[in-house]
Amino acid sequence: MDNFIEVRDVVKQYDGHLALNHVSVDVPQGCIYGLLGPNGAGKTSLIRIINLITRPDSGTVTLDGHPIVEDDVRNIGYLPEERGLYKKMKVGDQIVYLARLKGMAKADAQREMLEWLERFDLGEWRNKKLEALSKGMQQKVQFIATVIHHPRLLIFDEPFSGFDPVNADQLKAEILRLNEQGSTILFSTHNMESVEAVCERITLINHSQVVLEGRVDEIRQQHKKNIIAVDLVPGCKLETNDQLFTLMPPPPGSRETLVRLCDGVAMRDAIAWLNEHNQLTGFHEVLPSMHEIFVETVKG
Amino acid sequence: MEKLRLIIAREYMSTVSSKSFIVMTILMPVLMIVIIAVPLLIGYLNDAGSDVEQVAVIDETGRYGQAIEATNLFEFVPLRGDTVGDPRAFYDKAQGSLAAVVVIPHDVDSTGLVTIYSENTVNITLKEHIARSLSDTITQAHIAAYGVPNLQRMIDEANVDVEVKSVKWGNDGSETETSSEIAMVIGLVLALLTYMFVLMCGAMIMNGVIEEKTNRIVEVIVSSCKPFQLMMGKIIGVALVGLTQLAVWTVVMAIITMATGSVLGVNLLATSPNLPAEAMAEAQGSGFDIAAVLKAVMSVNYGQIFSCFVLYFIGGYLLYAALFAAFGSAVDQASDASQFTTPIILIMVVALYAGMACIENPNGPMAVWCSIIPFTSPIVMMVRLPYDVPFWQLALSIAALFATAAAMVWVAARIYRTGILLYGKKTSFKEIMRWIK
Repeated sequence: MDNFIEVRDVVKQYDGHLALNHVSVDVPQGCIYGLLGPNGAGKTSLIRIINLITRPDSGTVTLDGHPIVEDDVRNIGYLPEERGLYKKMKVGDQIVYLARLKGMAKADAQREMLEWLERFDLGEWRNKKLEALSKGMQQKVQFIATVIHHPRLLIFDEPFSGFDPVNADQLKAEILRLNEQGSTILFSTHNMESVEAVCERITLINHSQVVLEGRVDEIRQQHKKNIIAVDLVPGCKLETNDQLFTLMPPPPGSRETLVRLCDGVAMRDAIAWLNEHNQLTGFHEVLPSMHEIFVETVKG
Repeated sequence: MEKLRLIIAREYMSTVSSKSFIVMTILMPVLMIVIIAVPLLIGYLNDAGSDVEQVAVIDETGRYGQAIEATNLFEFVPLRGDTVGDPRAFYDKAQGSLAAVVVIPHDVDSTGLVTIYSENTVNITLKEHIARSLSDTITQAHIAAYGVPNLQRMIDEANVDVEVKSVKWGNDGSETETSSEIAMVIGLVLALLTYMFVLMCGAMIMNGVIEEKTNRIVEVIVSSCKPFQLMMGKIIGVALVGLTQLAVWTVVMAIITMATGSVLGVNLLATSPNLPAEAMAEAQGSGFDIAAVLKAVMSVNYGQIFSCFVLYFIGGYLLYAALFAAFGSAVDQASDASQFTTPIILIMVVALYAGMACIENPNGPMAVWCSIIPFTSPIVMMVRLPYDVPFWQLALSIAALFATAAAMVWVAARIYRTGILLYGKKTSFKEIMRWIK
């Protein structure tokens, strides 16, 4: 799989504050990629560099194999975290204007704008000023303006914040549809549930540096604590074996029975023993959530 | 370039089609007309509505009672002093049918003093009318009293009003009559136009920048184009908006003035028929020659003035517009902008006063320096132009202006691209200086 975006060794300094310290990120073609990190870690700085809004002090960014240039903005769609449009401008005009700024021809922009407004049930609002629309509708308009020019790279900064659940689902479905059509997607977020649900790969940035990088499933495997959740026949108490595992206190708000394997014990041996000495109805390995890995990595 | 064109077009269309712009553009000339027309109309109604009132003239000399002619507001009833007695009693007896009583005392020839009595405050035009009528009549009576034949004519002939005519020698020996006053007035008017335009558009630019920043749309836009393009698009777009507004105002004012001139104007003048005649007579008496004025107006070097105006207008506009854009990007809301706009406005006020002062001494050191320093030159040089500014000064001034404007645009672009993406920080001048580096 070729990398669509390659960020190499990027350094960016603001006013004595180091925002990015030799950061490298590879986003494969067609991937849904998560850029994670606490507030102020440098996510937005990196996104602005990929977007050509600012330049890195050193390091390079390549897009589809060539160093990124001014004209590449037409290949990028960007939905910033802080959203905004011209309040006094008509919805249709606004979308067409932003599409044309990205290099689209006027007629194409017009046609696509009508299609997208219909898709989001906003057709009748085309000639209304933006300020007449509800907040949810404004967000949809902003989304249309982000994707209308068929960008090959879509960058969403906290895309689901501010959306109600129904609209968030519609938005997620649209993003997945665009991904199927071939767009590479870069999410910047600290909403970990959405990362687990949609992202294939992530990069975690903390204190201006990359601290974790890779496939989501691999990362979760790497961070596993060898914990097994066992389901017992109701009323039974767990038989324990200190040589193989220790019983863990149940997580807050849960009645799950969790055991942690002792060092060097193979999971199959532990399960075999458990099955022999207990009346099990089921068991599964517990992988840490991205949330836990995030908190652990950032704090640790 | 295509992006810049798009940004300019959006900036222009969105402003020109906004309700507030349309209302302002239409309302402004109407307001101006109202400001001019209302006093005229009030004067007209004042005169037209009131009845002719009677004023008793008690003439103790027996010679000047007839001298005061009736006006369209007052009739004068001459009475001999010895037949009336006490003016107060006479006034009371009339039971309000008299507006006032004028007493011409017997010693008026030596004192030149008459008195007007009334229970009401005496109208100023009435006082002036009486004073003028009596002065003329009494002066003529005195001249006649000398008994010298043709004395009046001798006095008229002896009176000389000296008028200074300025003639400009060309290199080829030609002579043209000039009027530097008129050229200077034109220069000053054009400089004021630049001044108003810059202030009006500067405010528009700054509010536009702040709006884009607080709307947060700016991040979307600069992911599609360079911040410099966005800034220049706004500066140029707003200039076109301003020029459109000026053009509409000029046309509307011209139409309204012509329309009122042909309908109302004649009426207004007709109510006071003696005014234009008097004015003409006075004008001719003081040697005011319309033909000469026209000749002087024609003699102004309009080519030079207007080409310089265009240059100073563009340069001055760019210089200040870039500043307004930069400062707009540095603040989060319009109310925080005053710390930056106050110095700009202060500089502009200084420029304006320097321009005014130049009228007195157009080649003095202050005038020369202020007409070369870029921040003041768009105004000061326009005022100096009619006084044959040396070519090197003009060239230096324009070159300095454009160099500074270009530098200012460059600096503003650097401030702008940092400022628009920075939120929630109180920005100081010191901080801005760091952005430029």
